[in-house]
Amino acid sequence: MNTRTRLFRGVLTLALVITLLFLLIPIAALLLQVPVRELPALLRETAVTSALLVSLKTSLIANVLFLAIGTPAAYLMALGRFRGRPLLLTLIELPLVLPPAVAGIALLTAFGAFGLLGSTLAQFGVVLPFTQAAVVIAVTFVAAPFYLRAAIAGFSALDRNQLDAARDLGASEAVVFRRIALPLAADALRAGWAMAFARGIGEFGATLLFAGSVASLTETLPLAVYAQLDVDFNSAVAVSILLLAISGGVLLVAKLPPLWSLTPTSPPVGGW
Amino acid sequence: MIRASLALLATSIALCSALAPSAYATTVYAASSLTKFVPTIAPGNTYSFSGSDTLAFQIENGAPADVFLSAAPLYAERLHKKGLCTTPVVFALNTLTFVTPISNPAGITRVQQLDRPGGYRLAVGGKHVPLGIYTRTLLGKLGLGRALQKNTVSSYQKASDLTSVIALGSAVAGFVYTTDWHANRSRLLPIPVPKSAQPLIRYMACAVIRPGADTTSARAVIARLLSLSGRQALANAHLGLPPKT
Repeated sequence: MNTRTRLFRGVLTLALVITLLFLLIPIAALLLQVPVRELPALLRETAVTSALLVSLKTSLIANVLFLAIGTPAAYLMALGRFRGRPLLLTLIELPLVLPPAVAGIALLTAFGAFGLLGSTLAQFGVVLPFTQAAVVIAVTFVAAPFYLRAAIAGFSALDRNQLDAARDLGASEAVVFRRIALPLAADALRAGWAMAFARGIGEFGATLLFAGSVASLTETLPLAVYAQLDVDFNSAVAVSILLLAISGGVLLVAKLPPLWSLTPTSPPVGGW
Repeated sequence: MIRASLALLATSIALCSALAPSAYATTVYAASSLTKFVPTIAPGNTYSFSGSDTLAFQIENGAPADVFLSAAPLYAERLHKKGLCTTPVVFALNTLTFVTPISNPAGITRVQQLDRPGGYRLAVGGKHVPLGIYTRTLLGKLGLGRALQKNTVSSYQKASDLTSVIALGSAVAGFVYTTDWHANRSRLLPIPVPKSAQPLIRYMACAVIRPGADTTSARAVIARLLSLSGRQALANAHLGLPPKT
């Protein structure tokens, strides 16, 4: 290694150290706020356990929804050739840039009692605000774009020759999707799902405004953190740590190679 | 490449230092119900509006505030006890208004309707924030202490969240500060509540004590609040006036 390379590597290392410190110091500070042995007691409070249940239940449903509908939709977006595709891609990403409170207002004006669709729904006796269905909608609305983006990118990166080869061998389009495209894009899908899950379970603003904060009905973990701040700071921190653990766990699991995959990943090329 | 990276690094550091607050602006931390009022009485200053509890929490953690205007005595007095601000003075009063969305979808005409089982979707201040505490006092005085168990109640820590939730029809009714009702009159319908049930809502001001605080300007802002023109501005903003001291 010559001096210039060494200097360059030094600059890169410095940038990485600054990045890590900046991102991790607040999280470390949070973890240091509450003695670890007090955590179990703080997390056993009813307000926390009921919020945890609400969060897990609504997140589970929201995730099933965007995986089941989002995956085929992303496949079409990635491989379909149609006019206005760049515009559509942008529209799908729009909820990502909405401030959460604005997302809540948007959902209210769509599905709220006086909303665009809400008044029609009300005629059929469907009232969404202050229900768990509203939490699921809020979580799906803010989280799904994270998954869609990753899934579209994953499907777009597929080698079309491989898909064509399967077709030449007589595979139907559905079989190509299920047997070739899905397994090949699995890593991208898993990474996108993990991001979407983490964003969804941490959802705050849209839930608060659209679904409300009704104890043990629509009060999710992030809403509980906010409410607990006024009561008991330690309990709020404990709930935050729980949220961090759940999201961090999912992100980590998504990055590990799946247990069932036996094909060794190719070693990185040209590393230092 | 190396030079570019170093230049970028230097630029970011320079940008960060440019973002540090200038030493000369007086910073007013005020309860969000004062958002429209404060800039009229203390123009040219820096403001931060939020729930009084959040502001007090930030000041306790070293936020660069000079003046603290609290929607409840509790927070100003808490800071004073900790030696973080001067003796708080009452400068304004407020009341609660029981409101429904302007179209009143649930047909609520009397606050006593909340006592019926069956359940309205209500938006109410959280148990531990001033608005929620005042609301519970009011309901208690009306003998409606159990109203919050009989209805579907969503709790909000910020008064402004609550106002939009009712205005947009998520909740069919709720209790808001009278000033917030005035700010959203076109979207919120007031339902009369007996005056005798009104809780005493006092706003308190104090000058923040911290190294580098601009105490002189802070005291000047508070003096203006208590002055004749200050009282006129408070009245214009639909806030109540405390007896003159």
